[in-house]
Amino acid sequence: MMEERHEQWLHEALGTPPADALARSRRRLARWLAQTAPRLRWDAIDSPLGPLYFAVSDRGLCSLDFGAGADLDVFLAHLDPLAHAERDPQGLSRVAEQLREYFAGQRQRFDLPLDLERLTPFQRGVLQAACAIPYGAVRSYGQIAQMMGRPHASRAVGQALGSNPIPIVIPCHRVVASDGSLGGYTGGLEKKRFLLDLEHAAAMSATTARP
Amino acid sequence: MTDRPLRFEELIERYHDEIYGYLWRLCDNGSQGDVEAAAEDLTQETYLRAYQAFARLRPHSNVRAWLYKIATRCAYTALQRRRLAACRYAASFDEATAIPASTAESPPALAMRNEMMAAVRRAVAALPPKQQAAFILRHVQGMAYAELAQALACSEESARANVSQAVRRLRRELGDARMFEYLEEDR
Repeated sequence: MMEERHEQWLHEALGTPPADALARSRRRLARWLAQTAPRLRWDAIDSPLGPLYFAVSDRGLCSLDFGAGADLDVFLAHLDPLAHAERDPQGLSRVAEQLREYFAGQRQRFDLPLDLERLTPFQRGVLQAACAIPYGAVRSYGQIAQMMGRPHASRAVGQALGSNPIPIVIPCHRVVASDGSLGGYTGGLEKKRFLLDLEHAAAMSATTARP
Repeated sequence: MTDRPLRFEELIERYHDEIYGYLWRLCDNGSQGDVEAAAEDLTQETYLRAYQAFARLRPHSNVRAWLYKIATRCAYTALQRRRLAACRYAASFDEATAIPASTAESPPALAMRNEMMAAVRRAVAALPPKQQAAFILRHVQGMAYAELAQALACSEESARANVSQAVRRLRRELGDARMFEYLEEDR
């Protein structure tokens, strides 16, 4: 009891900073960070695969995450940790709209600037090759390696696809094993199967709808 | 503690207030100049240095202790500058920062209480820098010794020694101020 009183006394003697001083210091730090740190804007949509989070840098779409393991804190933590991240549904409505259209089977190509600056040239090359695979089609890891002019680099291609920061938009799910099995997928094989089935069904209905 | 990596922004959200409070207490050594402005500058400097070093911070580091370490270094440098520029013990208790009584006390009792608290503040302000930081981290910021040692970049034994020396010195300085008796037996 006496100790508690003394402890409180010590706190009182040494004081507590005034609330307005704390608020002023916080505002100053916020202003400084907004001027200093790279800016990232993010938003989320509900998708058939669960919540889907995406982020856009000044250069373009730079990150997308979805599925059972996707969580806002984890998503934000894996973005540039020094960045100043803010939610911007209005500014990112075009991205959200294109993603919704994709899941509705109404969009086959994304028309969005991408930011792949944080990747190596080889990783970028592999992801660009994946972007060239037509909607509803698949290619093998070996075929991508050949497209890259490195026919023996199937394993490296697989690793580069695994580092894809913008799945779905960069369709790494369209790359499968040469024996026709699904191969791997960071988001889980059931998600890969879902995306391939979605594209296959939409492509088929587009074909049969043609006169 | 969380396993996921923290974003720099979270370091501000989580720790700004306590880091500011710590620096504010370290700056308040004799009420020379504007304590709030000095604490604000040091908080900014702490976060600026942290921002520059953040990419080198190892995963699973104790970021709180790491921030306190940076803050302590910033404060040492600034306090050394200030102590060179002004007499360390010159300040008297400033009426503007007198602590209002929380209970209804008679004017003489209030005056005595304020004078007592002023004496405590002067004595804490007059501690050698490392003892002062160690004492505030332990008894005001409520830090465990393991974390405190990281914040002061020293061994746990050294951290304990600094706190004990600070308490002994405060007891000596404050003479019959019995309020520090309970602090001596630091475990």
